[in-house]
Amino acid sequence: MPDSRIEIARVAKDFSVDGRPLRALDGIDLTVAPGEFVTIVGASGCGKSTLLRIVAGLDPAHDGEVRHDGRPVTGPSLQRGIVFQEPRLFPWLTVAGNIGLGLENAPLSAAERARLVAEHVALVGLSGFENAYPRQLSGGMAQRAAIARGLVNRPGLLLLDEPFGALDALTRARLQDELQRICAHEGITALLVTHDVDEALLLGDRVVVMAPRPGRIAEILDVSASKPRDRRDPVLAALRHAILDRLEATQAAQPQTATAREAGRRPAATLPLAARSA
Amino acid sequence: MTAPVTAIAWPARGLAASLHRRVHRHLASIALGLVVPLGLLVAWAAAAASGWLPEQILPAPRIVAETLVEMVRSGELAQHAGISGLRVLAGFSLGAGLGLLLGAAMGLSRRVEDTVQPLFTALAQVPTLGWIPLLMLFLGIGETLKIVVIAKAALVPVTLNTASGIRAIPEGYREVARAYRFTRVQTLRRLILPASVPPVFTGIRYGLTKAWTALVAVELLASAEGLGYLLVWGRQMFWLDTMIVAMALIGLVGVAMDAGLARIEARLQLWRIDAR
Ligand SMILES: Nc1ncnc2c1ncn2[C@@H]1O[C@H](COP(=O)(O)OP(=O)(O)O)[C@@H](O)[C@H]1O
Ligand SMILES: [Mg+2]
Repeated sequence: MPDSRIEIARVAKDFSVDGRPLRALDGIDLTVAPGEFVTIVGASGCGKSTLLRIVAGLDPAHDGEVRHDGRPVTGPSLQRGIVFQEPRLFPWLTVAGNIGLGLENAPLSAAERARLVAEHVALVGLSGFENAYPRQLSGGMAQRAAIARGLVNRPGLLLLDEPFGALDALTRARLQDELQRICAHEGITALLVTHDVDEALLLGDRVVVMAPRPGRIAEILDVSASKPRDRRDPVLAALRHAILDRLEATQAAQPQTATAREAGRRPAATLPLAARSA
Repeated sequence: MTAPVTAIAWPARGLAASLHRRVHRHLASIALGLVVPLGLLVAWAAAAASGWLPEQILPAPRIVAETLVEMVRSGELAQHAGISGLRVLAGFSLGAGLGLLLGAAMGLSRRVEDTVQPLFTALAQVPTLGWIPLLMLFLGIGETLKIVVIAKAALVPVTLNTASGIRAIPEGYREVARAYRFTRVQTLRRLILPASVPPVFTGIRYGLTKAWTALVAVELLASAEGLGYLLVWGRQMFWLDTMIVAMALIGLVGVAMDAGLARIEARLQLWRIDAR
């Protein structure tokens, strides 16, 4: 079941704000190969969450097409797991109960289910808190429970929306490593949104830089450094500068007219370092 | 299919709040709740003793207490209270039951809500007392009238709270249910039912208070039995001690019912306890 290929073609999305259409996404083209780990960075409001929801199948009202292993995405699937930007734990369920929601429709015995839940409680470092309710957790603990819920049924594609945003640096580093290891081991394809450029570079085989208004792809950079990566790798530091420059440029310019196609094809050669445009 | 996972050791923190502190706080809140009633009782006794008002108008607490004992001993009080209790039970069950169904239908289906909401809101605006004359025409002044009036009083808050409670379930939770491909039954059982416990209980508690108030109103107007009747009768006969006993009992029953429901509510929502 893993080995998920994702093809996003000409995806655009309009929201209606005060009766006027607001273009949240425009001309998004992106293909993610099976087992690939792609990270998305961009200023807040540039449509990252909107894009993930569309890929998850939670928002069918968009233009363009998303295909998962060749089949058009028309609704949610257990093969596409999603970790939302907010934990969204059900307050009336314990940590274990919430993680178990991810297995609600998995064809497993109760014992199997309990084993997987316990395993994932430990995985995200919540042992001892199985029976705690969300109100008793810190923001970071709640987010870890949400990550476990997204991972527990081992989807072929995992969509993660700023999953480590609420965590302290140490926990974040541990979970980044765990996530990377699990995805590599299971061949899970991952699409991870982050506002942390270092995180994007640490985890991504490619980094997608998005620009706002309308949300579009400004740049796609290959990160060729082998994984697992050292956070202090100088190659990453160089790429980091390139991405930051790119992000700053999109913030300063805010072009209303440039189409995503032009933006997406801007040659990598304009970047100071060895970033190859996809 | 699962990768070997490595557990990370994290410091465990005790979760149980100190029981002792809780009991202490509970007793303190009961004591505080008694301050005003006890103060009033003292003021009442002092006013009666000073002969400030004639005894027929303000009987001394002692006289009321004697009347109470007498009414309890003769079984009169139990008889009236029992009749009132049965009326509330029947009317409230009917009203709250229908209110839950109607509120759930309105909360779950936008179409039902659009169809029912305007008329329902308009009808709900008319106070319970305003319904009585019209209902008397159709139902006479028998038991049916009383039960219908009480049911209507309970129906409105239960319906509105249930409907708005279900509507207010965050879209984010519904998305979680969709993402894990919950069936309708799973969504109902895992999400909608538990999420609507708090608003539904608010409606039920409010509905019970309304039912109890409506009971007194309808018994005042059209009854020869019950606590409300005891009030009218006491006033007409200038037996103010009887009237005060009835008033006190109505108030106490109301407080007791509300406290009972609050306990059930807390039971159903263990997850809310220890809430910050
Ligand atoms: N449900 C919605 N209705 C109207 N506008 C929305 C809605 N969701 C998102 N938007 C708008 O779409 C844009 C992109 O939002 P989002 O995808 O959340 O951005 P990001 O995740 O990159 O911060 C924003 O301008 C936001 O205000
Ligand atoms: Mg977002």
